[in-house]
Amino acid sequence: MKKIFILVLFATIVSAKINIDTTYSTFGAVAKKIGGDKVKVTVLANPKYDPHFIVPKPSLLSKLHRADILIINGGGLELGWLPPLLRAANNAKINNGAKGLLDLSHHLPMIDIPTNVSRAFGDIHAQGNPHYTTDPHNITNIAKAIWQKLIKTDPDNKELYTKNYEKFQNNWQKYLQNYDLNMQNCHTKKVVQYHELFNYFFKRYNIKNYANIEPLPGIAPSSKHTIKLINIIKKNNIDKIVQDVYHEKKTAKFISSKTAVPVVVIPHDLGADGSKTLEEFYNNIAQKLCQ
Amino acid sequence: MKKILYISAFVCSTLMANEELQSIKEQLKIQQQTTKRLEQKLDMMQEAQNQKSINNSASFSQNEYLPEIALILNMSALSRDVKNSDYEDLSIPGFIDSGDAKLPFNKNRGLNLNYAEVAMHSVVDPYFEAFANFHLHPDAFEIGEAYVQTTSLPYSLRIKAGKFKSNFGRINSKHQHSWRFDDQPIIFKSLFGPDGISDPAIQLQWVAPTDIYLMFGTEAMQGTNERSFGAKDSNNLYTGYLKTSIDITDDLCILGGMSYAHGSNEQNGKINPTDIYGIDFTLTQQFGSYSSLLWQSEFIRRDKKGEDDTSKQSGLYSEVVYQYNNNYSLGARYDRILKNDTDLEYYKNNNISTSNLDKYTAMIEYKPFPMSRLRLSYSYDTTKVINNKRKEINQIMLSLNIAAGAHGAHDY
Repeated sequence: MKKIFILVLFATIVSAKINIDTTYSTFGAVAKKIGGDKVKVTVLANPKYDPHFIVPKPSLLSKLHRADILIINGGGLELGWLPPLLRAANNAKINNGAKGLLDLSHHLPMIDIPTNVSRAFGDIHAQGNPHYTTDPHNITNIAKAIWQKLIKTDPDNKELYTKNYEKFQNNWQKYLQNYDLNMQNCHTKKVVQYHELFNYFFKRYNIKNYANIEPLPGIAPSSKHTIKLINIIKKNNIDKIVQDVYHEKKTAKFISSKTAVPVVVIPHDLGADGSKTLEEFYNNIAQKLCQ
Repeated sequence: MKKILYISAFVCSTLMANEELQSIKEQLKIQQQTTKRLEQKLDMMQEAQNQKSINNSASFSQNEYLPEIALILNMSALSRDVKNSDYEDLSIPGFIDSGDAKLPFNKNRGLNLNYAEVAMHSVVDPYFEAFANFHLHPDAFEIGEAYVQTTSLPYSLRIKAGKFKSNFGRINSKHQHSWRFDDQPIIFKSLFGPDGISDPAIQLQWVAPTDIYLMFGTEAMQGTNERSFGAKDSNNLYTGYLKTSIDITDDLCILGGMSYAHGSNEQNGKINPTDIYGIDFTLTQQFGSYSSLLWQSEFIRRDKKGEDDTSKQSGLYSEVVYQYNNNYSLGARYDRILKNDTDLEYYKNNNISTSNLDKYTAMIEYKPFPMSRLRLSYSYDTTKVINNKRKEINQIMLSLNIAAGAHGAHDY
């Protein structure tokens, strides 16, 4: 009897998984790859919604509540919804400053850092553009940061995490080589986009963004700005109007009808377009943008 | 002939050797220059690097630790079919006697500056964070809230201490500027006055380790609110509540709560118990990132023992808000007093009806940006007695609220 009890206890200890919460789904996919079956990954934000405006509903509290590690995008992207949740989840492991919190924006170079910060310029992020997940090369740094956090949190499984990490990085570097090669044949070079969501991707593959459909970050389109945009598109022979999944699509369609430039709807996060894997997510970006 | 050839060959080779030497010397010179330039560049870069790591901040500077500070302004333009001087003396039968109403918000026909509020938040140390709201009315300074809260207690516990709004019910803990309607629900206004249940207090909250959100909380409060409590000899108010929430679908979420408060009131030197029960229910359906439907209702009952008998009173409000996009939303609220089993002698004697106390409100809201909000509302209110007569009050109000600076996101 005693033996069985010990066995059961042992089994529960062995099967005890590390609970990882990630704010967005791309990080969740990477964490699953590195953690393997030693971790349970929960993604907080539904990728079909605007990552700035996730509704801080109480069900997220019970998810945050049991997390051992919380992986966030940082750079101010979660500022509008995560802090009150963290405060109410009463989880000392993942509070600001605790060992369980991983802010990925501290682990890769940010672009578009404003020299001048004022809300007169709309909803700008003082730390730089936070939408770095759109560049597949950033997955390399993201994976490294997650691997390091995992071996620190759960040193017993260090070897397994390292093995998973190395395998993942190997595959990912091969994938990137292929991806970059394919992107060389991409004829889309001039675009306009809704919000500055894809700047990292555009910078990586020398695509020039001429203007945004929203006049200022977080401000809805105005007719005056839209007319200006139509002129910019006509003057510069823009190839594509880049639209995300969650903003209204009326303005983009209207601009398209006036300029005959096609609108492409591009996912900003894994699953935003129904994609199931990292590869599928990035392939969809390339495919839709370059078609 | 041969000799000449030899000599010329010799001269040539010497000349060539000379030339080669010259060119090598020149190459060396160029390379030395390049090296020098590189060295200079390196020095400069090193210098720049050093400059960067040099501490440039003033001695003893603590600017990095400044708290987040926000300025919240709330104002309105208002039209009402009651004179300002009459409105001041309003009463709500059984709840608020004439002259007893505190009206800090939107009191006057014409223009109102309700408050300028300074809201601060800062992490204190690895164990506490602090919040404060300094409420500046045109003629008063008030510490709206000022409290510390633990951040690293084990077992999912959290302790809060200071002066703060109780988590009793749903709307009570929310600040006026985050309400979806400018006016306080009638039942809250009647039972607790404009500040709700807000006191020097200690709070303990626990989140259960379950898949479904389940939170228990309890508070010991001073109980200074004279409408419902107010016994002065010691702290007299204790609250407890249970809140739970489930997602029916990814986009449909419900939240429910049950609350109880037990305090003491003091009348003519005698101390008697007051018991308050609350039930709240909120449903939200998301239609996209910027569009949603919210339905929120709250019911409250108060049993307040007096000198002779216990008055039993209850009421509810129910509000629906449809957010169309990130700029526009519209909503409606219904307020009603359900039970008013108390001393209404005065009203009977003066032939003033005390039945059908309710209020209807409709509003349309425009948010140019998340930090600013314009709201146009109309209300039809039958709960008030003015100049000893039941008066149906019509009110149209345009309110403006802004939050400038570093102001954190609000709770769900």
